Amino acid sequence: MEIDYLLVVLLSSLTSASVLIIATLGLAVIFGLMGVVNLAHGEFIMFGAYTALVVTRSGVPFSIAVIVAALVTALFGAIVERVIIRRLYGRLLDTLLATWGLSLVLYQSAVLIFGSVTPGIGMPQSNVRIGDYTISSYMLFLLGVAIVLVLALYWLLTKTGYGIVARAAIQDSETASAIGIESGRINTMTFALGSGLAGFAGAILLPAVPATPGMGFAFVIKAFLTVVVAGPVTLTGTVLAGGLLGSAANIVASFWTTVAGNIVFFMLTMGLLRLYPNGITARWNRKL
Amino acid sequence: MFKDIKQIKTTRRTVLGAALGLGVAAGFGGLSRAFAADDIAVGAIYDLTGGLNIYGIQQSRAMHLAVDAINAKGGLLGRKLNVIESDSQSELPKFTQYANTLILRNKIQVLFAGLTSSAREAMRPIVREKKVPYFYSALYEGGACDKQTFITGASASQQMSVLIEWAIKKYGPKIYIMAPDYNFGTISAHWVETYAKQLGGEVLGSDFLPLTVTDYAPTIQKIQAAKPNFVVTLPVGANQTGFLEQFAAAGLKKQMGIVSTNYGSGNQQVVVSPDAGEGIVASQEYFMWIEGAGNDAFKALWKAKYGLDEPIISEAASTWNAVNLWAIAVEKAGSTENDKVIAALESGLTFEGPNGLVTLQPKSHHLKQNIYIVQGNRDHGFDVIKTYESVAPSFEDEKCDLIANPATAEAFTP
Repeated sequence: MEIDYLLVVLLSSLTSASVLIIATLGLAVIFGLMGVVNLAHGEFIMFGAYTALVVTRSGVPFSIAVIVAALVTALFGAIVERVIIRRLYGRLLDTLLATWGLSLVLYQSAVLIFGSVTPGIGMPQSNVRIGDYTISSYMLFLLGVAIVLVLALYWLLTKTGYGIVARAAIQDSETASAIGIESGRINTMTFALGSGLAGFAGAILLPAVPATPGMGFAFVIKAFLTVVVAGPVTLTGTVLAGGLLGSAANIVASFWTTVAGNIVFFMLTMGLLRLYPNGITARWNRKL
Repeated sequence: MFKDIKQIKTTRRTVLGAALGLGVAAGFGGLSRAFAADDIAVGAIYDLTGGLNIYGIQQSRAMHLAVDAINAKGGLLGRKLNVIESDSQSELPKFTQYANTLILRNKIQVLFAGLTSSAREAMRPIVREKKVPYFYSALYEGGACDKQTFITGASASQQMSVLIEWAIKKYGPKIYIMAPDYNFGTISAHWVETYAKQLGGEVLGSDFLPLTVTDYAPTIQKIQAAKPNFVVTLPVGANQTGFLEQFAAAGLKKQMGIVSTNYGSGNQQVVVSPDAGEGIVASQEYFMWIEGAGNDAFKALWKAKYGLDEPIISEAASTWNAVNLWAIAVEKAGSTENDKVIAALESGLTFEGPNGLVTLQPKSHHLKQNIYIVQGNRDHGFDVIKTYESVAPSFEDEKCDLIANPATAEAFTP
């Protein structure tokens, strides 16, 4: 096997992991951190993708459209938290049912509003050459996006006042309230943050994954598995689990078949959960 | 406690009352239906909601358009056609449920239904047992053979034979296959190999993709490593449209051709960006952009009723042909009796449809029809580059002879 092929596979395994991590971070906050099983996570991604699509097609540059999409999805998440999720904290099955219902509503709304096909915006037609191979510049760019996003989120949740208060409100909302933290408001903000991240994912992936009503389904299963494998140290765990699962599946798919890559993803998930029933970070002594 | 019991009683009574009311209503409904007996009951089951409705809505629209046109001319045998339609909601079990209901309760004389092969296979035994002619109008992997089942979409071998011939001539003999990981993909890939061998081509490799994959980097690398002259791509479902974007963005379109038998069948050319869609070659039995009086008339009718914001897909033209072929058979048989209609359908019927002249092959129940080779342009549309006239469904004609062996009930695979 030539060296340039190995290099390309290595790079693309990193981009695959980045795509997975970008699509998972929102769920890492909502499910990993807050413990809310949000089955509508995929539809939040779809919501962000369509928002970015509509904004771009109205003439706004794509980079700004991505930010708008993240903000709009965050706002939508805040409303969902106020109206639905807030009443269901600590009621796992009810949350499951409510968010699943929400995902159905969002899916069908997208079909009704946008129809089944909407013109996409496409990827920039530029690529990087490595020996005999070319790799899309946009996919490489997503690698950078994933790194920046993870660092920014880590900083937000550990170094800022909001981050500390947010984690306090989630860990023990009564004690947090006793010392004067408005747990309710903070939880709304955290849910909105997770939703915004999902919306950002849909928007930033839009060039490579065209917006369709059913697009969320492709992401939601792997995102959940990644967060479950990650375990209690949510953020570091998600990066680790996403990096491992995403790149392993990619490498197997590159040397064998895509089906085999998928099988490896799920077998690896099963194997890791057999070894670490509470996630790979269960015994870590880190905060995030 | 007492209060509770009382409540339960009330609820029970309410429920009982409601149930009675429903029963009475249903009874009357049944009666009124029975009295409108002079109409010919036409059954239809399409996916009007759910993930497959990108195809189902257009199939249903084409069916209504054809039935309305027939009724406007006075119906068949002096009787009006009355459509009874069910929405299968993109769920397989609904097809068997509604097929039984339509046949047993509504006494339909003909059934137009289904998009996926699994839906067709689920209904095929039902229509065989109940003796109701059934029309399946979608492009598919081919091979279905059953006395009551008629297929107006193109089969994989029918499309693939001309596409591979054209592509080898145009690009060269080396081929890579990207296909979805289920029977449509694997059987289509088999046809690519068969025709490549016949025509001096060579399949260098293939990758089968689950429908939920969104990241195609590994496939793209393997294609680059294999260095084919062209790629046969068979994107199914919304996610696989992303493959075309990523293929173009990696710069592969400058290095090799890209051809498909199903690109466009779900209006994928609308979703992909101009950069990714331009130059993709597709082969099907119908494209909205083909020229001809039949297509102009069909498009005018369609536009008047539904508008043309969304391009018409091949499944719509196939459904239109299905309804019209059945109507011709009923007129010819002079009756809606099953044996007579089937005999008429097996008499070598022809019909000038939107896609030119189609011939219903008596033995295989498939259509001999034109296959068009088109190329994507920058306006989310296609330019027709070559027409192969009256392409026979050769695999089905070879395997399936329902006149000699009327009891055959098979889905032949190569």
